[in-house]
Amino acid sequence: MTAIEIRNLSKSFGAVRAVDDVTFTVEAGSVTGYLGPNGAGKTTTLRSLLGLVTPDSGEALVGGKRYTDLATPLNEVGAVLEATNFHPGRTARNHLRLLCVAAGLPVARVDEALGQVGLADAAGKRVGGFSLGMRQRLALASALLGEPKVYILDEPANGLDPAGIQWLRGFLRHLAHDRGAAVLVSSHVLSEVEQTVDNVVIIAGGRLVRQGTLADLTAGGEKTVRVRTAEGGDLAPALEKAGATVERVDGGALRVHGLEPEEIGRIVLDQRVVLTEMTPERSDLQKVFLELTEAR
Amino acid sequence: MIGLVRAELLKLSTTRLWWVMLLSTVFFIGLSLAFFVGFAGNEPGGLPPIDTPQWAQVAWSAGSSGRIFVMILGVVMMTSEYRYQTITGTFLTTPRRGRVITAKLGAGLVVGALFALAVLAFTALVVIPAVLIAGGELSLTESRVPQIALGTVASFALYTILGIALGALVRNQIAGIVGAVAWAYIIESVFLAIPALQVVGKWFPGGAAQALMSIDVDTGMGTGGDMLPAWGGAAVLVGYAVVFAVVANVTTVRRDIT
Repeated sequence: MTAIEIRNLSKSFGAVRAVDDVTFTVEAGSVTGYLGPNGAGKTTTLRSLLGLVTPDSGEALVGGKRYTDLATPLNEVGAVLEATNFHPGRTARNHLRLLCVAAGLPVARVDEALGQVGLADAAGKRVGGFSLGMRQRLALASALLGEPKVYILDEPANGLDPAGIQWLRGFLRHLAHDRGAAVLVSSHVLSEVEQTVDNVVIIAGGRLVRQGTLADLTAGGEKTVRVRTAEGGDLAPALEKAGATVERVDGGALRVHGLEPEEIGRIVLDQRVVLTEMTPERSDLQKVFLELTEAR
Repeated sequence: MIGLVRAELLKLSTTRLWWVMLLSTVFFIGLSLAFFVGFAGNEPGGLPPIDTPQWAQVAWSAGSSGRIFVMILGVVMMTSEYRYQTITGTFLTTPRRGRVITAKLGAGLVVGALFALAVLAFTALVVIPAVLIAGGELSLTESRVPQIALGTVASFALYTILGIALGALVRNQIAGIVGAVAWAYIIESVFLAIPALQVVGKWFPGGAAQALMSIDVDTGMGTGGDMLPAWGGAAVLVGYAVVFAVVANVTTVRRDIT
């Protein structure tokens, strides 16, 4: 069964159409990146999915049901929303303990979840003294309490240091690929999720603009390769002769349109120039995303 | 539902608020008791002497003035969820919001009653020695202690849930607290102190709570003679609580949490 299903979802706040007829699905065993610039409607979509916001029309279902109809929601869905959802005077352990009590989960899960996110040492500390990264980990721990099969995370990388982001990537992949969970993770930074996700859904101005597997989206469209040579070697004429369009970019590098890396490699060999960089660019996804974010 | 009520009680016991409020309540009541002891026997028009059952009545009912504190506690129980956005986690755990509000109100009844018991214990610690030292007699029935105790417990419990409901309505912590204090100390005290306005004032929560005690000692501020009967006071308070709870439920259930 489809783990998450968003069907023709629309929601306005006053005159602002935050989400406009958005439809997509997330399957079990995969990580889906929900991407878009700030204010694109990501949070509204996720909050509709979690029963916190009532959509004007359309449906947002988890395992075929509305969130508000789930009998034991923490056992089915783990959610991480903003990092500020804690009482500063409460300890991390107590925060999780009362969620367990309210949800009827065994309190033993508290220390297990804290251990899973690497917060075991801070369990007895008040959340008020936590860094943003620790709060994100605690939020993730609360999502893990019921060992659900669906995870919904809104900008979980915010406030994490590079090591934390690295850890989060591995953890989300582990949940999806080893435990078969469906993971929906939103971000406004493409590079943050690029290495984690299997599928991508892009939203801007409340409307869906692109969706597909990461492989499709990066393969699609025009391929470009960035080439940089050591001083004195100019490849541009030879590349153009071979049919490429060459664009000079910052710092003397060339952006080559219309040739495969292998063809470029042969030209480099023929020209006997020293190559210092050759980077295939995932033009479509990056371009789409850049255009979207720059337009705002 | 029992799990939800327990979770609500845990929310309170795992932060410092409750004992700060309890200390404030006890301190406030301590001030009134000190006043009652200090000015005892200042007749005419003032307080009766300590060794009379009338003084004991006034002193035992000192605790009821602490009900504003449990109302504030109730306001904070609800509004701190919005202030710290813990309401998101609460509704994610229990998406049927009516159940959350019901559990909070249930926890409010328990907390209010416990506060009342603590206040009564503190009052006993002051009143009993004071009466004995003054050479008076301890008579629970003559000084209406059972009724005062019951009235204190009931009014504290109900005021706590009035506070919770008010908090659900306004959601803003400062607005809720200011509203509760302004209501209790300005509007109600005007309507209860001025005899001509008591016709209206006796129907207010404060008037109803006073009726619940039904003490009949002239303290120079008018007697409680114009109040509702005790059962009427109880009925009015329960009525307020039900109306507030329904309003709290309806408003909270529909709002988007963004």
